[in-house]
Amino acid sequence: MKVTYNWLKDFVEIKITPQALADKLTMAGLEVTSLEQATEDWLLEIEVTSNRPDCLSISGIAREVAAITGKKIHPPRADKHPTPKTQQQDFAIKIQDPKDCVLYTAKIIQGVRVIASPDWLKQRLELVGCRSVNSIADITNYILFEYGEPLHAFDLDKLIGQEIIVRRAKAQETLTTIDGKSRALDESVLVIADKNQAVALAGIMGGLKTEVGLETKNILLEAAVFDPLIIRRTRQKLGMQSESAYRFERGINLDVVEAASRRAVELIEKVSAGKCILEKKLGVSRRKQSRVTFDLERAEKVLGVNIPASRAKGILSGLGFKLTTKKKNIFLVDVPSHRPDVRIEEDLIEELVRIFGYERIPTTLPAVKPRIIPDNTRDLVSRIKNILVGLGLNEVISYSLIARQLSEKLDIETPAPIEILNPLSKEQEVLRPLLASSLLDCVSHNLNHKQDYINIFEVAKAFLGSSGEPREGLNLAIALCGTRPWLFPQGLIKDEAGILHLKGILEAIFVKLGIKEYSFKVDAALATIAVYIAAERIGSLFRVDKDVLGRFQIKNKEVVLAELSLDRLFLKVNLLKKFTPLPLYPGISRDISFLIKEELKVEEIIRMIQEKGRPWIKQAYVSDYYQGKQIPAGFKGLTISCLYRADERTLAESEINPLHSELTVLIQEKFGAQIR
Amino acid sequence: MSGIDIKAIEEQIELAIKDIDSRESLEVLRVKYLGRKGIMAELTARIPSLSIEERRILGQQVNALKNKLNLLFNDKEKSLVVNRSQTSYGNVDVGLPGIAQDLGRLHPLTQVIDEICGILTRMGFSVVEGPEIESEYNNFSGLNIPLEHPSRDVFDTFYLKRPNQAAERLLLRSQTSPMQIRMMKAHRPPLAVAAPGRVYRPDAVDASHSFMFHQIEGFMVDQNVRFSDLKGVLELLAKSIFGQGIKMRFRPHFFPFTEPSAEVDISCIICQGKGCSVCARKGWLEILGSGMIHPNVFKNVGYDPKKYTGFAFGLGIERIAMLKFGINDIRLFFENDLRFLKQF
Repeated sequence: MKVTYNWLKDFVEIKITPQALADKLTMAGLEVTSLEQATEDWLLEIEVTSNRPDCLSISGIAREVAAITGKKIHPPRADKHPTPKTQQQDFAIKIQDPKDCVLYTAKIIQGVRVIASPDWLKQRLELVGCRSVNSIADITNYILFEYGEPLHAFDLDKLIGQEIIVRRAKAQETLTTIDGKSRALDESVLVIADKNQAVALAGIMGGLKTEVGLETKNILLEAAVFDPLIIRRTRQKLGMQSESAYRFERGINLDVVEAASRRAVELIEKVSAGKCILEKKLGVSRRKQSRVTFDLERAEKVLGVNIPASRAKGILSGLGFKLTTKKKNIFLVDVPSHRPDVRIEEDLIEELVRIFGYERIPTTLPAVKPRIIPDNTRDLVSRIKNILVGLGLNEVISYSLIARQLSEKLDIETPAPIEILNPLSKEQEVLRPLLASSLLDCVSHNLNHKQDYINIFEVAKAFLGSSGEPREGLNLAIALCGTRPWLFPQGLIKDEAGILHLKGILEAIFVKLGIKEYSFKVDAALATIAVYIAAERIGSLFRVDKDVLGRFQIKNKEVVLAELSLDRLFLKVNLLKKFTPLPLYPGISRDISFLIKEELKVEEIIRMIQEKGRPWIKQAYVSDYYQGKQIPAGFKGLTISCLYRADERTLAESEINPLHSELTVLIQEKFGAQIR
Repeated sequence: MSGIDIKAIEEQIELAIKDIDSRESLEVLRVKYLGRKGIMAELTARIPSLSIEERRILGQQVNALKNKLNLLFNDKEKSLVVNRSQTSYGNVDVGLPGIAQDLGRLHPLTQVIDEICGILTRMGFSVVEGPEIESEYNNFSGLNIPLEHPSRDVFDTFYLKRPNQAAERLLLRSQTSPMQIRMMKAHRPPLAVAAPGRVYRPDAVDASHSFMFHQIEGFMVDQNVRFSDLKGVLELLAKSIFGQGIKMRFRPHFFPFTEPSAEVDISCIICQGKGCSVCARKGWLEILGSGMIHPNVFKNVGYDPKKYTGFAFGLGIERIAMLKFGINDIRLFFENDLRFLKQF
């Protein structure tokens, strides 16, 4: 809402500078978003919140200025317009449904001279951003800005029949509005019609055919109140915006309609000659006044500040509320007609304190009663993120809404994703069922920016259930791509990210979160490695297929991905740690190095060692492995370290040697290993 | 005179010694001048062949120069020893890159969320998270936002396509405030809750708008929670994030779910309130919306508005992070360029 300093002065005495005024308005809830000097005046742009339609006018803002600065508002210009006596012409108003239009007033003004507006009128309108058209259109706009009541003038001679009908449009009815656009209407749209057809979109825009022009001699001046909801729906449906629709949608003060209309007539008679010869009115012209009980002690309880009764009364009266003392500190408050937003005591508390000053409320700290609402999820997510960051991975946050095509690029069979009814663009068509595709996008972006090593993860919701109830589950996805250089004194080691890196990362998480029964199983059908906790599959690891990478513009690079359901993982978390006593006696360590066929599984050998090495085997693990030049094709070289120990005494080497030899022989016999 | 210009030799040596950067080359220089067959020895050898008077003078000069050179070489040697100990340790050149696992980073938004939640936790708030798919009731009606009213215009919302037309309308939450409804329905006061998370609004993407962003909702309900408490909590929070030196102001505003409502500004952290492009010359930066929970919200969750009062606030994480880190484009958060992420 734009207002000018001088225009405000028409209504209220202002003794402070425009800057000081802007500050005071801002701190009273009417935020001044810009203040500019304009020709011999100052222009203030004010953000009027949706609960304050009364401030969508100069007179409304002036009322606030008066309350804030403790001045009196000049009574609106006296309405001295004599009731017309010469009723030569008759005219009827018909309202189809009073719910759509609670009040319609019409005034017929004869013999107007439509001219270019005088400078004072032009200038004021242009200052507040309204283009000057002609004297009649300008005066209706001037009144709209001054009173907040939208008016409309019809060229009376272009209306057919001696009546105005406020009705719903008929199916297939059309209307060309003054912007020259033809509008297709239906029964949900409220129109103003003459005997034959719609002549205006009620409260939004007039029709082209009955527009006032320079040739117009007689006019019908409409001042009405339409239902906010119907105006809103029509405006949205037709994709229109107008100053008048903006105000009708937020609510018009019934009490101001007649005053605004009469002031318009007065101005038209002054500027454009003409004479009002007939007034017609249909509907209610007064709103029922509401009354709210106000307890000053309650205000103190809510605000944490004591406002003396005399000051409180002064502030509320200044805002136009009428107070009657009921008991000490309890008042009956009559709400003025322009403040229908004030309905309950809390509304009055806000009115009181915004003028009293938010800055005068002290700063205190609440007495919080300790109480913890457990939310393990957040804590566990935080633990996982910190483990991953500790392992050198970088967290990304990507959009949950993605293009449908992005989700399809993956070639992973998932149920159809949940679709968005009203996406703004193709990039927001669906909710992603997996995080993996977004991560591949991130990898692609970073490769384009010459990053050699990309190690990223995201923890976010994934969405499923397009056919029934939508479900959202928390997922973790990790993507690795490229070579990490490790520079050691012994030289550079190029560590190329692969499946075992993903495995190691997940194992770190499992161990830290006390998850024991995890396993990784190759799922040959899907070309992935399934991750299990006990019997439940919680996700998979995979090397991304070349074709898929191509769709993400990733070339000559390998990307490995993991995606897990954290909801399922969290069910298996055990954060209780239990101490195992340290061994009292030393153990003996022995290695076995051998070659075996590539396809044999290390896990099976270790399981065998653990079984057959009882009772003294305590640990058996791979301490070295190698595939390459020195190893024959189709084989891999392995070293397994075995730790033997007894709990109750020191073992002698002579006790271990036979057992270790036996295990060595078993590895040869059972797995065909060649000992090195 | 002997024709020997001691001064010139002295200057020559001083110059040479200055450029020396290793003990080895210093030793070479020392041998050249002070060695058994060095320049000084040669000079000394020439003394006997001179007249008595010349002998006396040159002898004194040569001795003085020798003493001076000894000092110079010793000082230089000391300085070289010090220099070496700064770069080498045994046979290790400390200037070589250190060996460690590279540090990963939490996303800057996560860092800001963690910081804010940490401050609130220390004040006694419980941190919880809720679903991103919400009902119209929790996102709007329950919060006293009428479904068809201009007050809803600021909350443009993504709706989900439902296969069954008759099914309840579902949406992506446009704010974290639905957590007020969820938590209050599930628990009785006293209640102090912080709820961070993703929210969605159909906004065209540009440097300051995104269709997905993050908020934190904070609220507290008890029998005697006051507006002054809201001011106290938010002051602590803002000063913890932006520093003790900032000024704050509470401006009346309108939100359907609070009454009275306030927008909170901090003095511009770029220009300290003098007025700059970041604060649009106002000297103030709006950082959050807040207020006393509206009695209708209490009624909707089954609390007695006569008995309980409470405050609520909601802040946008991207806005805070942009101010805090000096980031000028919101899209950087979601582009996930490692060169960006590794700066935090």
